[in-house]
Amino acid sequence: MTWYNYSLYVYCVSGSWIIGMILVYLLRKKRIKWLADIFLVAGVVIISVFTVGLWMELERPPFRTLAETRLWYGIFISVIGLVIYYRWRLFWMLAYTLLMAILFLFINYFNPDTFDKTLMPALQSPWFIPHVVVYIIGYAFLAVSSLIGLIGIYKMRKNKNTDDTIALADNIVYLGFAFLTFGLLFGALWAKEAWGHYWTWDPKETWAFLTWMVYLIYIHFRVSKKKNVKSSLWILSLAFIILLICWFGVNYLPSAQTSVHVY
Amino acid sequence: MDGMNKNKKRKTWQSPWGYLESFIISSSILIIGFIIEFFSGDNLLKLPAWPVNLILIVIVISYIIIVQKFFKTSIVKWFSSPPAAISAISILTFLILLMGFIPQNNEASDGFVKMIGLTHVTTSWPYLLCSFFLLLILGFTIVRRLFPLTIKNFAFFLNHAGLFIVIVTASLGSADLWRLNMQTVEGRAIFTSYDHNGNSYNLPFAIKLLDFKIKEYPPNIGLYSNKDNKLKIDKKTQLMEVVEGSSKILDNWNIIIEKYLNGSKKDSLGYDTSNAIGAAPAAYVKAVNQISSKEICGWVSCGSFNSLMKPLVLTSDLELVMTIPVAREYSSDIRVFESMKKYKDYTIKVNEPLKVHGWTIYQTGYNEKMGKWSNMSIIELVNDPWLPAVYVGIFMLLTGSLYLVWMGRSNQAKKTKNNDLV
Repeated sequence: MTWYNYSLYVYCVSGSWIIGMILVYLLRKKRIKWLADIFLVAGVVIISVFTVGLWMELERPPFRTLAETRLWYGIFISVIGLVIYYRWRLFWMLAYTLLMAILFLFINYFNPDTFDKTLMPALQSPWFIPHVVVYIIGYAFLAVSSLIGLIGIYKMRKNKNTDDTIALADNIVYLGFAFLTFGLLFGALWAKEAWGHYWTWDPKETWAFLTWMVYLIYIHFRVSKKKNVKSSLWILSLAFIILLICWFGVNYLPSAQTSVHVY
Repeated sequence: MDGMNKNKKRKTWQSPWGYLESFIISSSILIIGFIIEFFSGDNLLKLPAWPVNLILIVIVISYIIIVQKFFKTSIVKWFSSPPAAISAISILTFLILLMGFIPQNNEASDGFVKMIGLTHVTTSWPYLLCSFFLLLILGFTIVRRLFPLTIKNFAFFLNHAGLFIVIVTASLGSADLWRLNMQTVEGRAIFTSYDHNGNSYNLPFAIKLLDFKIKEYPPNIGLYSNKDNKLKIDKKTQLMEVVEGSSKILDNWNIIIEKYLNGSKKDSLGYDTSNAIGAAPAAYVKAVNQISSKEICGWVSCGSFNSLMKPLVLTSDLELVMTIPVAREYSSDIRVFESMKKYKDYTIKVNEPLKVHGWTIYQTGYNEKMGKWSNMSIIELVNDPWLPAVYVGIFMLLTGSLYLVWMGRSNQAKKTKNNDLV
């Protein structure tokens, strides 16, 4: 198995995921719902088969080039997306993760000449992929939680009931916060292997920690002040600003000129 | 404030304390920190090393357990209350937020900001006091929620105690952390290494560099604009990897790599293969302008520390240049001597450190000017006796987070079962 027959796999995988998602929607009230599951799982199986085949062909773990990295993004993101979907029935999360996975697979398809692009030595680590994948998922959850927060604020303005909205926001924050924790700790474990210390207050680390702290405030605020929904929703929306600074803004801060995360 | 509305008669400082009192206390702690820092001058804060740090930890934990179990006053209860937790987290967040905007440990910084510790937050009094305050609250909360032993409480314990352990062992353990640098040179056994302040230390073992190896990505070729004094990189003009026989169009020029030499030396006719030290990559290139059909042939080389770089002039403004190859992987074969006769050989590279005699040895750098001909390798030696304890905390947090993913906010979990699409 090599990259030469990759296109066939990409079409099969994307096809079965898209059909799966359509079926999830169409059959949501029918008894043959399981038909959708077959397509969703089949996509993961097909891309895994390709990866294993590639692994055997290369006679080394396919972890070295950017294209191989994207392959693993595709697999991990779709698997976590499916697990979250079956646990929590969040259709948007299923759609988001599968479309992200398809995007990664198609980048490989359209950019075959980047297969062997430079990957600096510090990034050549088994921690690279898990670290990035859990952040992609954590950020998605928290972005959606902020969206729910804004919907909640709008509903309050219109004097509508917000009980369900805030309950949903809470749950999404818990999931997103857990993934944020994974990302932070995977990063620490990786840093120990690569740079000799798990925490060096690199600017990106500082901001990732800040993001984590702000959501920590939200969670504790919700525990103690269940009735004060308005403040909670505002904290949630503001927390996302910190997250955005951490995600995109850090590179432009004067305090970040020596960061290892600037690329 | 919610707590106050319930009981309108309650005045500030009347128990149970709520958010107002909590935030007054936390802010006071921060301000006291700033004041101490201001008056302590240039003396950098130093945490105690072994065994004082362990004794401190034992005292703090015993204090928390005893007080929480036997003195159930309202102040003790406040220490494990959400308002106290939120105020402590918020104040620490505020301090770190300042740290996020102010460049840290910058030699040039001066003035009031430096006097109150904001240029070196993590080694300042306000940071120490705020995190210690948070730690106390965390400790009291853990002890209070330890029983009954349900799964939910256990997950709570994993998350909170995990964090407690990580903070305690990472901060107090930092005084016992050794990070030393060593410049190993091929053929010489060295046992002297240096810390970040330049103090030298003799290690209980010596290290000899047997061989420094480097694997490089092939160099790239690109268009250099003399007008802008930089490489032209945009949608139409990208870098081109130098592979013999390949061709690519860069900004109206069709570039064909006719010949590529991994190492070369210049002679009267052009370039020839060479394996000598400092032999730079060179390529014979044909460039054809797609508009004017003008054809230019010639050698391009990126040069090295002892050979000149060679561009190929296309127009008065445009030159074809080769970039210096980037390291893909570098590693050092080292021999670690316990004594003159007792030694063992190892290989270290980035992301693959070596653990030996209680130290972890990392590949950090080399003589970048010499590149692949460097006969020097920079390594870092780390001795972190508290690391296993930190990992226990990290592992607890990871397990606790898995529980969060599975259970979410627990009252929501029951709901979703009957609700298919959200």
